[in-house]
Amino acid sequence: MVARGLSKTYRLGFWMNRKVRALEGLDLELHPGEAFGLLGPNGAGKSTTLKILMNLVQPSSGAAALFGKSPRDEGARRSVGFLPENPAPYEYLTGREFVRLCGTLVGLSGHELDGRVKEVLGVVGMERAADLLIRRYSKGMIQRVALAQALIHRPKLLVLDEPTSGLDPVGRRLMRDIILAERQKGTTVLFCTHIIPDVEAVCDRVAVLVGGRAVRRGTTQELLSAAAPHWELAVEGMSAEQVRALAAPSVQVELIAGKAVAKGADAEVQALLRKVVEANGRVARLQPVRFSLEDLFMEALKEARGGTVGSEIE
Amino acid sequence: MIRSFAALAWNGFREARRNRVTLVVAAFAVALLVTGMLLTSSTVSVLERVLADVGLGAMSLSLSLLAVFLSSGLLSREIDRRTIFLVVSKPVSRGQFLLSRQAGNMITLTAMLAAMSLLFWGQHLLYGFSATQPMVAAVGGLWFELFVLTSLGLLLSSFAGQITSGVVALAVYLAGHLSADLYRLATRSDSLGVKVLGKAAYYLLPNLERVSFRGQAAYNVHVDGAAFWGGAAYALGYSAVLLGLGVIIFSRRDFK
Repeated sequence: MVARGLSKTYRLGFWMNRKVRALEGLDLELHPGEAFGLLGPNGAGKSTTLKILMNLVQPSSGAAALFGKSPRDEGARRSVGFLPENPAPYEYLTGREFVRLCGTLVGLSGHELDGRVKEVLGVVGMERAADLLIRRYSKGMIQRVALAQALIHRPKLLVLDEPTSGLDPVGRRLMRDIILAERQKGTTVLFCTHIIPDVEAVCDRVAVLVGGRAVRRGTTQELLSAAAPHWELAVEGMSAEQVRALAAPSVQVELIAGKAVAKGADAEVQALLRKVVEANGRVARLQPVRFSLEDLFMEALKEARGGTVGSEIE
Repeated sequence: MIRSFAALAWNGFREARRNRVTLVVAAFAVALLVTGMLLTSSTVSVLERVLADVGLGAMSLSLSLLAVFLSSGLLSREIDRRTIFLVVSKPVSRGQFLLSRQAGNMITLTAMLAAMSLLFWGQHLLYGFSATQPMVAAVGGLWFELFVLTSLGLLLSSFAGQITSGVVALAVYLAGHLSADLYRLATRSDSLGVKVLGKAAYYLLPNLERVSFRGQAAYNVHVDGAAFWGGAAYALGYSAVLLGLGVIIFSRRDFK
């Protein structure tokens, strides 16, 4: 999957004279077999990107290609499994009928179709409820059936829009396990979410989208190690003011649950540790603070504030 | 491609069946029974004509309204409910999707027209009358009229919401039965504007009277083959233009 300079401006209103920019100059490239996460807050342009790739929305400028072909080409979408955000399968069908219909649309038939329908419904844990009408399903069951239809034809590329949103912990775990199993089989996975632990658990590479632009990108490891390491020191028997007086100015000290907790860079916290021991303070805890994708996400969000993307421009 | 088309078309019929649309046939059966009982006591001398007129009229009205209802909100409903995301993201073109939905609607309407026709002829047999050539032509003509109406509904729903599409489709249905009268009235007018408007309406609106043979059926007047097939070709041609426009518009639409 390749996207070059992808932009999208929606025209709204009765006269189509109001413009809202949803995406601006996005470049993306997925390598075969990798899991790529698009991370971003609501309105960042994640779903718009996926919709352009699935031919649901036409880009205003730029181009995307799936297996070397335009997403408008039906052949390009033949090897793609798509799970949209809040999927809505036909509720007058049973789960089995819906998955079967989707299997037919991607070109399966006969015994192969029968076998695959049974198999994917088993993978998502829906074999027992497969013959109930979808209108009787819970949100989690709908999500599972929608994932089953995306897997029916053993896609080479799996495009998932918020696959775990709204699911209970069991459903989330199952969804994650299935995605990981698909990745192990060599399926390329592109998924977008604002649930950061999912990205950390599943993705090789990440792009952080804010206001329609990719503001960070790289492997999960690269992005996390790029940040300076921080340490946290919790002290008992001293007030926050006493600890602050011993610490370097850049060290942040606050009172948490009766302990003075100092956070700062490695060398500064080590120096503070010595001073606290000399001052007969009791060290309750000394640990590295893991810089998470969540911190990275929040940092990127702060930096990117003030752009015109995602809001009305005319 | 053909298998996908057939699967989507059959799915359209299944949707109508499971949403109990076929109850219209049951309502039609009850209406036939009641009107039959009422008419035998009041209009003995012209019973055959009145039964044909009422039966075909009820069939036409109920199926035409159903055609408008089924087609006018079809695409907008799919977009609003987001069911379309899971289908058009498959290797299915937008045009194929739209035409298969049209086929699904026509399977539903054909099945209902067949069931209603059987009930209608059953009623005639019950009263000792037989099916006539104009009656068969009237039922056949109604099928082509339904084809035009569903095509129109689909075209409208490719860019407008359900209520707008429904209202416009109903207005066109009514005007489509009056377009020849509008033309005649316009030609007699002294105003150039009215003349131009009347002619424009005549050429733009579907002339549904070309496939309406209910009058001939009621008075048992033989329907000429050329008139029937000419009307059928006109209806199919008009529908092809509507569907073509629908495919063009629908193919360019964004699904936000």
